[in-house]
Amino acid sequence: MGRTRAEEKWNWGLVDLAVKAAGCALDESRGAAPTAVVAANALGAALGDQRNLGAYVSSRLGLGDVEAHTVSTDEASGGSALRLAAALIEAGLHETVLAVGAEKTSDTLPDELEAVRATGLDAVREAGFGFGPLVASALGMRRYLDVHGVPRELFYHLAETAHRHAASNPLAFFPWPLTEEQYLRSPIVAAPLTVCDNAPLCDGAAAVLLRRAGASSTGLKLLGSSAISGPTGIATAIDSLALPASKRSAADALAAAGVRLGDISVFDLHDSSAFLAALSIESIGLAAPGSALLAAAEGAFHLDGRAPMWTFGGLKARGNAPGAAGLYQVAEAVLQLRGTAKKNQVPGARLALVQCLGSLGATAVTHVLG
Amino acid sequence: MQIARSWRQQPTNLRLVGSLCPSCGALDFPERIRCARCGAGGLENHRYSGRGSVITFSLVYEAPRGFAEQVPYLAALVRLEEGPMIATMLTDVDPEDVAVGMPVEMVTRRISADGDTGPIMYGYKFAPAHEVAP
Repeated sequence: MGRTRAEEKWNWGLVDLAVKAAGCALDESRGAAPTAVVAANALGAALGDQRNLGAYVSSRLGLGDVEAHTVSTDEASGGSALRLAAALIEAGLHETVLAVGAEKTSDTLPDELEAVRATGLDAVREAGFGFGPLVASALGMRRYLDVHGVPRELFYHLAETAHRHAASNPLAFFPWPLTEEQYLRSPIVAAPLTVCDNAPLCDGAAAVLLRRAGASSTGLKLLGSSAISGPTGIATAIDSLALPASKRSAADALAAAGVRLGDISVFDLHDSSAFLAALSIESIGLAAPGSALLAAAEGAFHLDGRAPMWTFGGLKARGNAPGAAGLYQVAEAVLQLRGTAKKNQVPGARLALVQCLGSLGATAVTHVLG
Repeated sequence: MQIARSWRQQPTNLRLVGSLCPSCGALDFPERIRCARCGAGGLENHRYSGRGSVITFSLVYEAPRGFAEQVPYLAALVRLEEGPMIATMLTDVDPEDVAVGMPVEMVTRRISADGDTGPIMYGYKFAPAHEVAP
């Protein structure tokens, strides 16, 4: 696997980022020759960037004549790429497949970026009426506070967890701890949502090389995965304060892997906003409805907590390169399972569950690795 | 905003037209081609009353491109009295006076404009409901 630093990488374009991460994955595998590439990208086509990314990455890597696809499922694209890479192998079509996700956001001004991200929601009824992911998360956050009666300040603990772990991740966009005072001073984006409740958009790429497991394989395995698309439209998640696709996808991936939630030693869920982070935690069953923030405040998601999460900073502090989000998760899980996560290591990590979401949770992709 | 796109949205945007499924009775907003509940085709148009109540709201300071001139604006999720939910801006109300559960009704307003010379799109926003005299 390979990753680039999550940052504003002014001197690299979308294809450069993808090639860099994919090249690291190929170098690490010492001579593996993928015969297929699945590239993930969320926003590039709408931002006027390279389309048919898979073909361009394959060509720039000099992979020769390969099968190449590009997949786009909003911020779940990276997870989808790995799922499809695994399917190509399972179908017997290929032995080795490269999954690579990339996003280039820093060429675009924030208001235009938000308008393009908004078209991952209902492009006509939501994006067309001034609703983007930030507004949707703000609406959800107010509803969460109203229904569950929790104090606004408790949301700090989600961001605190992510920043605490990013502080020792040299590839993180925001590698520093976040104090409660900094959090409470954060400017309002759309009340009650502040800058600190939202993951920063950045440039980045991550790649994973997948091989058919042989009888004598000793490497890490993709034990189970599931991709679910449920009802679209922001009303479902906000009104019910639940993410049915997230719940179903996690349950199916665990079942496919033949393990239980309690067996998982390290987690990564989709924290593009504090609202989605809280709902994901509750939807997959790590906390009862309304109690995700309390669990975070008790340190449940710290490296030494009961469900270590965002162990390299998550989207909130490592940074959100949307099309690469799902593959950063996997690359970081690989470090945990290999025991090479250094200061971010969860002792004895044996099984990892990662989940990425698109279109405010309408799409969910979960992988279990071990 | 392309002209044809604006044109085909007119029944929904100006008259709050949605769908009624003759097979299972499900109501949806906006108009659909097949019923998302039972899968039947042949849906009928259904015009909503325009009355509803606020489920949740937000005062937006950082807007997507195309909405900067309206900042700060009130975004809300409104449940129509017939059931379906709608993402809409609130208007004709002081942000301080907005509350969850507040009765609102549809009004027609300018939603967006394509620069100074492009087409202007009109559509629904919601305002505090007028009391009806007994």
